[in-house]
Amino acid sequence: MSHPALPEKFAFLEPFVATWGDLHTQDERYRRRQELSQGELEAFHAALAPRLEEVFTHIDQFDPKALPEAEALLFRVVLGLTEASQAVEIFGQPRVPYAPFPHSVAMEWVGYQPH
Amino acid sequence: MADLSEHMTKARDMGLGHDRVPVEYYTSADYFRREQDMIFRRAWLMVGRVDEVPEPGDYIVRDLPTLKASVVITRGKDGKVRAFHNACSHRGVALVCQERGNAMTFRCPYHAWVYRIDGSLSAIPAEQDFPHVDKATSGLAPIHLDTWAGFIFLNFAQEPEATLPQFLAGLDQMLEGAPFEQFPFCIRVTDEIDCNWKNLVNAFNEGYHVAILHNKTLRPAVVPKENPHLHYLDVKHFGPHSAGTVQRNFDYNPQAPALTWVYAQMLPTSAPDIAAIEEGRAGFYEHPGINRLKIPNFGTETITIFPNISIQPLANGYLFYQFWPISEGRMRTEVRIYSRHAPRTLREEYAMASTLAATRDVVVEDMAMSRLQQIGFESGGKTHQQFGQNEPLLRMFTRDYEAYLQGKGMGQP
Repeated sequence: MSHPALPEKFAFLEPFVATWGDLHTQDERYRRRQELSQGELEAFHAALAPRLEEVFTHIDQFDPKALPEAEALLFRVVLGLTEASQAVEIFGQPRVPYAPFPHSVAMEWVGYQPH
Repeated sequence: MADLSEHMTKARDMGLGHDRVPVEYYTSADYFRREQDMIFRRAWLMVGRVDEVPEPGDYIVRDLPTLKASVVITRGKDGKVRAFHNACSHRGVALVCQERGNAMTFRCPYHAWVYRIDGSLSAIPAEQDFPHVDKATSGLAPIHLDTWAGFIFLNFAQEPEATLPQFLAGLDQMLEGAPFEQFPFCIRVTDEIDCNWKNLVNAFNEGYHVAILHNKTLRPAVVPKENPHLHYLDVKHFGPHSAGTVQRNFDYNPQAPALTWVYAQMLPTSAPDIAAIEEGRAGFYEHPGINRLKIPNFGTETITIFPNISIQPLANGYLFYQFWPISEGRMRTEVRIYSRHAPRTLREEYAMASTLAATRDVVVEDMAMSRLQQIGFESGGKTHQQFGQNEPLLRMFTRDYEAYLQGKGMGQP
């Protein structure tokens, strides 16, 4: 799938766009995390986690309800870290131990449309 | 730290037997049918909050898999909240098909019978062909509804054996004025699992497993050195309902970069806001019915409402868990993470998504173990499971479960 480019100074996240950029729900991100290897999750985490503040300093400049395409893509990629960090910082493995695979969980933000 | 052992309520302190409980309760279709009739059609069941229908005309539809009930909950023009079976009086169609909305009437999509938001029948097309139908008595079938602390409870009996306050048996008084309404925003997490619903009820009624099963998730944040098996403290019971105090580690200070960043944006639901506590504006922490011992490293009061609810008031919100049996071997878990507000910035959206993933993963651990437990039960090698002295609430639940199955329980001693 073709994507808009990421904002220029976040081009270092380009290798992760194909993995995380098309996902629109937390459950999709949760399932993607289960499919990836720990090495892939660690590479993503290593690239992004230390630079979260830099990313959000940039995103802060835009209206959350009307993100330009490049920033919307950036934010979707960054939201992937909410799942990847569970694997890297908590479990040391992609999946929750003993859970079924693949595992899907319905998550609904009542009255708010998450990205 | 003062010696807490005297507050670690043991089963013997509460006069509870049930040290061995038949596996049959968890695997038998016959027991499931009795649970439907003797528990879920008799007890008051919590199904939502009044702030889910804040305005006149607001409605939500809930399905309760245990009773195969489809329920419409509405707020009328008169401001009153009502519940109805979602079934047209004509040919039975579940006529309200959206999960939530605002309307003054409901129109059945089959033959256009029309009902008002208060459930009354307002119009029958070609009415002359239904001379036997009395419109005044042919509204949607009502379900008994009452509220406590903003929570909506339903009772599916023809006539409830006890009022909601009688059913809550003093738990409502202990929590009178607890500030649930300060945390109106919620994220709902639902999943269906191949296990008996009571496996999950039991998991939430003891802290013994936390240091083991939740070794990487909860343990660092909540299991204190002085209470390594996370024994619940100051267990209180109110009829079949209960509450116990649980500690946490106030010095828990995650160093991992993504989690550290999240903490700096918005404290997770469970993390104590030290400044707010010191200033006396920390929500549930101030309530006299919560943390009666005034332990300094208070984590949560884990509150169980019979038969299928656990509520955990936390520093920045509360967690609500509900366990619905679908059959003896399958159940639905619903978790709601309640917070002060919806995300106001994308930083907050990220932080709340991160807390959601972390909270979900803990519940996934519990659900995974409950599924393995069911496999073990159904294998048939064991006729009983064992409850320890440190698992008093499992024994209490089983005692009251048996009482309900025998037709007792509702308000009777």
